[in-house]
Amino acid sequence: MEYPGTVTELTASLRQGGYLADRGLATTLLVSLSLRRPVLLEGEVGVGKTEVAKVLAAVFGRKLIRLQCYEGITTSQALYEWDYSRQMLQIRALSQAEAADERSVDKLFGPKFLLERPLLEAVRQGDRAVLLIDEIDRADDEFEAFLLEVLSDFQISIPELGTVTADSRPVVILTSNRTRELHDALRRRCLYHWIGYPTAAREAEIVAVREPAAGQLTRKVVAAVHRLREMDLAKPPGVAETIDWVRTLGVLGENELTPDAASDTLGAVIKDRDDLDLVRENLAEIISGG
Amino acid sequence: MGDPFTDVLVGFAAELRAAGLTVGTGDVLTYFAAMTPLDPTDLVDLYWAGRATLVSRREDGGVYDEVFRRYFLGADAPAKNQLVLRAQSVAEAEAELVMPGTEPGPGENQERPFLGWMASGADTLKHRSFTACTPAELAALRRIMATMRLTPPRRRTRRTRPAATGPEPDMRATIRESMRMHGEPPGQLFFRQRKTKLRPLILILDVSGSMADYSRHLLQFAHTARHAAARVEVFCFGTRLTRITRELAHQRVDAALEEAARTVVDWDGGTRIGESLDTFVRKWARGGLCRGAVVVICSDGLDRGDPEVLATAMERLARLCHRIVWLNPHKGDDRDFRPSTLGMIVAAPHIDLLLSGHDLASLEELAGLLPVLN
Repeated sequence: MEYPGTVTELTASLRQGGYLADRGLATTLLVSLSLRRPVLLEGEVGVGKTEVAKVLAAVFGRKLIRLQCYEGITTSQALYEWDYSRQMLQIRALSQAEAADERSVDKLFGPKFLLERPLLEAVRQGDRAVLLIDEIDRADDEFEAFLLEVLSDFQISIPELGTVTADSRPVVILTSNRTRELHDALRRRCLYHWIGYPTAAREAEIVAVREPAAGQLTRKVVAAVHRLREMDLAKPPGVAETIDWVRTLGVLGENELTPDAASDTLGAVIKDRDDLDLVRENLAEIISGG
Repeated sequence: MGDPFTDVLVGFAAELRAAGLTVGTGDVLTYFAAMTPLDPTDLVDLYWAGRATLVSRREDGGVYDEVFRRYFLGADAPAKNQLVLRAQSVAEAEAELVMPGTEPGPGENQERPFLGWMASGADTLKHRSFTACTPAELAALRRIMATMRLTPPRRRTRRTRPAATGPEPDMRATIRESMRMHGEPPGQLFFRQRKTKLRPLILILDVSGSMADYSRHLLQFAHTARHAAARVEVFCFGTRLTRITRELAHQRVDAALEEAARTVVDWDGGTRIGESLDTFVRKWARGGLCRGAVVVICSDGLDRGDPEVLATAMERLARLCHRIVWLNPHKGDDRDFRPSTLGMIVAAPHIDLLLSGHDLASLEELAGLLPVLN
């Protein structure tokens, strides 16, 4: 499926995939799709940064290639690696004469023995893929510099095989939780969008799209979560937590947000012990709606 | 060029530049390209395309909004005479500019010094700081401190390096060797070992009244530490917490110190250690800033706030970081020092190492103990 040409179409398509994008995000994504520039998404935890890439891939029939960043990630984990055990077996199977032959050595470092890692796969797939580079802030600075090189040219050199160049550029989505300040050079290569918490009405809409069975419960849960966000919590709940809470209540067959039901399922929204104590004290007020 | 649309967008970029944003010519070209699939008469499209292409960090969003409002929506907006805008899109854009989720939240305000400045009228806002430092003094300090290196302890990373022996075989090197031997199994195996890396160092410096004399030296020290070690983050606090890492990134010490003095607006305004550390834990530490890091706090522990807040913040911090070092100048050279201030007593159980930091010799002691703090 082709990517759409207008903001309205894109918003509608994302909606079909169960993602409600606001005007700002939809515009940024549309520009990214038409210019083929990477998008850098920042925002609070659990507001759906990663989800954007997943839904884009699902709705438009692209392959989602995910590169999860972490401290100490190396190029062999991001680009490619040789399949050493297979190479070893192959060598053992070669006869003396074959082993001396240049061609069998060349074969040993041929595509058959190459393990594709996310970035190489994305370059090979080109437009058939959506590349998600998740939590880029967790990787080291040096990795960022390396990524910059890949993102600007979309080509990867493998000394034994030559250069692989993308015939068309994949859509690239980077997410960051701002644990570290990203380099300006990387920011400049990307379109930037900040995803904040949605308004109560919008959040209710989002939950309704995800959990249509919840009905009236949705509005009450959303109102309670909004009150939680106003409280001085160490870890305020995101949209993902709201959906989780509604889902949890659904599993338990609750139709009302009673103090008992809320207290039993609080673990779905509050993920910190101190916060839990604070919330339990004020539970009645939080779920009452006043 | 004569094209009114071009003039308007270029003019807008110039306004943004004047307002302090970094907008390069390349960014403006991207902005133009971004408008191609969009509707140039729709202000909302103009707004979001510009926001995505010309703004690259969240803090700049407010400035962008302000300039956009002035340039496109104001009573004597320059863009109005040159562009035919759809009437209804003007109203939409007005709504967009106050849309929740794009404005900084209430908790974010402290990031912008001038906002915090207005918020807390009670703080005594004086730039009483390094201006008192004579050039000769600064030069002498710099000479001595330049010879000192703050080296945090090391930790093992996921990455490996070739080694004579080690837990992991180096398959790549082994295969290479095997190839050289025409497929024979190599005579020796190659190994890899885990690399080690310096832990991040985080300095949290008290710059309130009782500590002002020490903070000057410590800021100097912090600046030197930044150049010596792998990753250093510096925070200052008094009545509230300010991150000054960026200001210290300047190459020249004097410029960095001047900059820091300007940022730490609550100079001499009293101490709220508990609340400052609580801010640090909530805003920075929880995000992962100090995971595996050594946190050095310099304060006398004279806290005006609630001791319970301090206790909770310290407990959380201790769980989030690797080690906590506390420098208390009042400790002096006294080996049997017992903390007497309430803040110190409350914080004590979570401190791994308590030093004085009141003179150069004690800072040397810190530099000596830091690398072995594992």
